[in-house]
Amino acid sequence: MSESILETKSLSKAFGGLVALDKVDLAVEAGKITAIIGPNGAGKTTLFNLVTGVYPASDGEILFQGTPLKDTPPHRRAALGIARTFQNVLLFGNMTVLENIMTGQHPRSRYGFLGAALRLPRAHREEETISLNAMKYLNMVGLGTYATQNALSLPLGQQKLLAIARALATEPQLLLLDEPGAGLNKLEKQELSDLIRRIRENGISVILVEHDMPLVMGLAEWVVVLDSGQKIAEGTAAQIQKDQRVIAAYLGEEVE
Amino acid sequence: MLARLKGKWTYFVIAALLLFLILIPFRWFLGQYTVIMIFIGLFTMVTVGLCLLLGYTGQVSLGQAAFYGTGAYISAVLSKICGVNPWLSMLIAAAATGAFAYVIGYPIFRLRGNYLAVATLGLGVIVYILLRQLGPGGPDGMAGIPYLSIGGFVFDTSFKRYFLVWFFCLAVLLISQNIVRSRTGRALRAIHGSEAAAESIGINVDQFKVKIFVLSAVYASLAGSLLAHQMSHISPGSFGPLVSVIIIVMAVIGGLASIWGAIFGAATVCILKYELLLGFGEWDIVIYGLILMLVTIFMPEGLFVRLRELFGQWRLRYAQRGAEP
Repeated sequence: MSESILETKSLSKAFGGLVALDKVDLAVEAGKITAIIGPNGAGKTTLFNLVTGVYPASDGEILFQGTPLKDTPPHRRAALGIARTFQNVLLFGNMTVLENIMTGQHPRSRYGFLGAALRLPRAHREEETISLNAMKYLNMVGLGTYATQNALSLPLGQQKLLAIARALATEPQLLLLDEPGAGLNKLEKQELSDLIRRIRENGISVILVEHDMPLVMGLAEWVVVLDSGQKIAEGTAAQIQKDQRVIAAYLGEEVE
Repeated sequence: MLARLKGKWTYFVIAALLLFLILIPFRWFLGQYTVIMIFIGLFTMVTVGLCLLLGYTGQVSLGQAAFYGTGAYISAVLSKICGVNPWLSMLIAAAATGAFAYVIGYPIFRLRGNYLAVATLGLGVIVYILLRQLGPGGPDGMAGIPYLSIGGFVFDTSFKRYFLVWFFCLAVLLISQNIVRSRTGRALRAIHGSEAAAESIGINVDQFKVKIFVLSAVYASLAGSLLAHQMSHISPGSFGPLVSVIIIVMAVIGGLASIWGAIFGAATVCILKYELLLGFGEWDIVIYGLILMLVTIFMPEGLFVRLRELFGQWRLRYAQRGAEP
């Protein structure tokens, strides 16, 4: 197996008495599309929240490009190259479409209060780069014509594309997509698949949590199955579809 | 073409407003309003800070008058009792108030929403009581604070001080405007939009909250210092918790997320306070409460912003009618 971009070792998370994630070992290969599937409550989003640092792990460790992310706060992890989207999208409703993406450039620009207050030349230069890059990501997700509209005026499908563009604007090495396909129609899902492939072609590793099986099986080069906080299987899409334990987890059968 | 016309129109309006502002204190124009205009300028500075904090970043502070007060008192004590140059006193006051805001900022911004509101209200009450109990002169305050001066030019009349205050006020407005339209401004609005999403794209949410809190405190402190050096008399009553509420009213009338609305908000309340409601005595606070309620119910985006929208619609309709043969 080639180099992994993300590894978890015996990663666990308990909320009070509820064990959301139980000793999960993962190795996500760089430059691939990896899917994490599993029934509701399997711990998929918890895994994302641990990787992005929303809350600390109860036990175990996370390695990003070989370095442990022990107490690294979320905003530092974004700067290191981990970006994500959210199940409930969470766009900035008080901004335009373009501004949402420009905000995503935050960790790739430097100037602060002083530069802004006095409009220093450096601020001006950076601002030009920021808007150029933002336009690039805007066009990449095909929302170029909506640049000056309010972000929340877009229909859900386009909001989700915008959220991906905002995450891409942080120029990540690893992109975590939390149910990108939920609530999209067939055509929008097709566009989404194409976009995710293009992202991968740009050298960004993608992990997606998704319930839509045709979408997952068409995209993912590696599939990890979680159930009740534990990793029960992993493999290629074809292997997973035949795995007895996976079928049992989804259909609720007993495994002898 | 339309954009170019719009650009010219904007410059024309700005030039006209600036000319108006310059002419106000002359006796043959609106000279009798000079002192009110000075207060409008001072309160605009405090209100802009609150707009950045509340309107853009979404963090409430019901204690802005505390920073207005520490600015005034530090400046007054240093220049009058310790004999420090008033400009230097003003600078030290701003630095000390900023440092104070920084130190309390980190613990206080662990709180959110209503809890943050109550904590900042508490801050305002504590500072007010400290000024009453420990400030020179107690509840009566202190007098004989030296005027600011440049070389031999002393700001000893309202006419002169008007220009001094509005110089600072416009500088603060411009700086704030620049901040809002920048990387920093986007980060602040992102925090307002969604803290989780802001963090996920690399914005240090806690730090930005504290920094904007410090900036708002420095604005208030500068306004307080200017007040102390121009009134030559200050008392704790000018910095009590009710003043913080009035500052909120100003920000709400101006439209929380509007820098220039702050002037409008400050002007509306000051004109009410010092002109129209003089006969109401202490009952004027009832009117402010009423205004606050009505504006938040019917125009949550702020009176100024609503009026600007209506004006924009009217101009659009006018332009369309003009275009038809």
